[in-house]
Amino acid sequence: MAQPPVEDIAVSRDWASARLFSAIVNSSDDAIVGESLDGMITSWNPAAAGMYGYAAAEIVGRPAIVLCAPCGEGEGRENLARIGRGEHVPHYETYRRRKDGTDFPASVTVSPIRDEAGRLIGASSITRDVTEQAQARAAAEVLQRADDLRRANGSLESFTYSVSHDLRAPLRAMSGFSAALLEDYGGVLGEDGQRYAQRIVAASEHMAALIDNLLRLSRLSRTEMHLDSVDLGAEAAQIAAELQEADPGRHVRFTIQRPVPVQADRALMRMVMHNLLGNAWKFTSGRDDALIEFGTTPAGDAPVCYYVRDNGAGFDPAYTHKLFSPFQRLHPASEFPGDGIGLAIVRLIVERHGGRVWAEGAVGAGATFYFTLDEEST
Amino acid sequence: MTSRPILLVEDNPDDVALTLRALKKNNILNPINVASDGAEALTFLFDGDDTQTREPGLILLDLKLPKVDGLEVLRRIRADERTSLIPIVILTSSKLEEDILSGYRNGANGYVRKPVNFAEFAEAIKTVGLFWLLLNEPVPE
Repeated sequence: MAQPPVEDIAVSRDWASARLFSAIVNSSDDAIVGESLDGMITSWNPAAAGMYGYAAAEIVGRPAIVLCAPCGEGEGRENLARIGRGEHVPHYETYRRRKDGTDFPASVTVSPIRDEAGRLIGASSITRDVTEQAQARAAAEVLQRADDLRRANGSLESFTYSVSHDLRAPLRAMSGFSAALLEDYGGVLGEDGQRYAQRIVAASEHMAALIDNLLRLSRLSRTEMHLDSVDLGAEAAQIAAELQEADPGRHVRFTIQRPVPVQADRALMRMVMHNLLGNAWKFTSGRDDALIEFGTTPAGDAPVCYYVRDNGAGFDPAYTHKLFSPFQRLHPASEFPGDGIGLAIVRLIVERHGGRVWAEGAVGAGATFYFTLDEEST
Repeated sequence: MTSRPILLVEDNPDDVALTLRALKKNNILNPINVASDGAEALTFLFDGDDTQTREPGLILLDLKLPKVDGLEVLRRIRADERTSLIPIVILTSSKLEEDILSGYRNGANGYVRKPVNFAEFAEAIKTVGLFWLLLNEPVPE
């Protein structure tokens, strides 16, 4: 007599007793569910009751599709179509829905059921709850991603290192040998030649400064943040005092709101305040009635918005978008010195705190820089 | 007394030339030996029969070197009784905190970042040279 195909669950006297078979089904940890060819549930084992939360009495006779999570509804019909063609559906992963409406990841196998004459009468699906495996897999993925990130940071670190080391060496040679030319062959070079050599010296130093600033930015974006209670008003007051002390000849009036408590990284926020107030100080240098203000204001979507306002040189609003990019300068270095990195640092730090920064201003009418921090940190 | 030699461990020929120029400009006329990688420095210090006479009064050590890197050179010099007390100043482009820390941890006496500007570079070389070769009391023989 021919063996029934192994994947078919054929209930036959010759093969096994119905009682033994039923015992196996009932003691299985996997949900074993019978369906008719039109997709109605015909049998329901105890594991299915435990897994889905329906007792056999309330689910038998209902459409099997209620067990599918919405994302897998199409699969029930497709499985039945394959079963109708006599095919076996090897195990695949999907989502199933419990009685209480929650979904769980499941591994499912569907096989045809035939009667003694070999006619197709339905399908049997074996479902295993793979929540734990899915969680383990997700955890492994998180670890893997953390590992990738660490590796990427590591290679960034060595990139940083070689930028710092390898790019400075040729600059030193350009600057050094130009200086040697000037010293030893200044007479031969003549006035123009000397000026050219001086330009090489100046350009090398400028590039060295650019590299250093690039490195600073890259380091800043990777330093670990330590959130702490910080009073931005107190920080502002201290920086104002430092600015005044470093340049006692200037008369600047500061209006600083206090206290302005935030949850933030102290060192990084000090850098933000230092850059914004330092800019305000610098760009009001042409005024006898310089006024610099720090405070908070409600603004749009954020609960609190911090601002630094000055009545200095301002900027052309047409170039607002360039303000926060590294090495962008809206004023000639001869008028207001700077390396074009300060506001890029501000943006980087504010964004790392989950906030954003923007500016308003007009030429000759001062500037206001606004920033927000993550809602949770205010 | 000022004739104790300087050992300059530096792989970049431009930096070698600039360092020699800076020393000369500042009238530091001690004999100078140049090793262009870490292995050469170690051979110079340890493999001659006349180690005694070769013992430098100051070692200027670059960190990023071909073959044996600067930190390893530093460790080996410190590990050997004959050379463990020689003043070593790291002279490098890097100002990475890790480099500075491991420099000191491995027994460097100083750490100087080479400035790009030659006037500043010459000033740095002068200060280091004058301090270690002239002002500082050397380890008694």
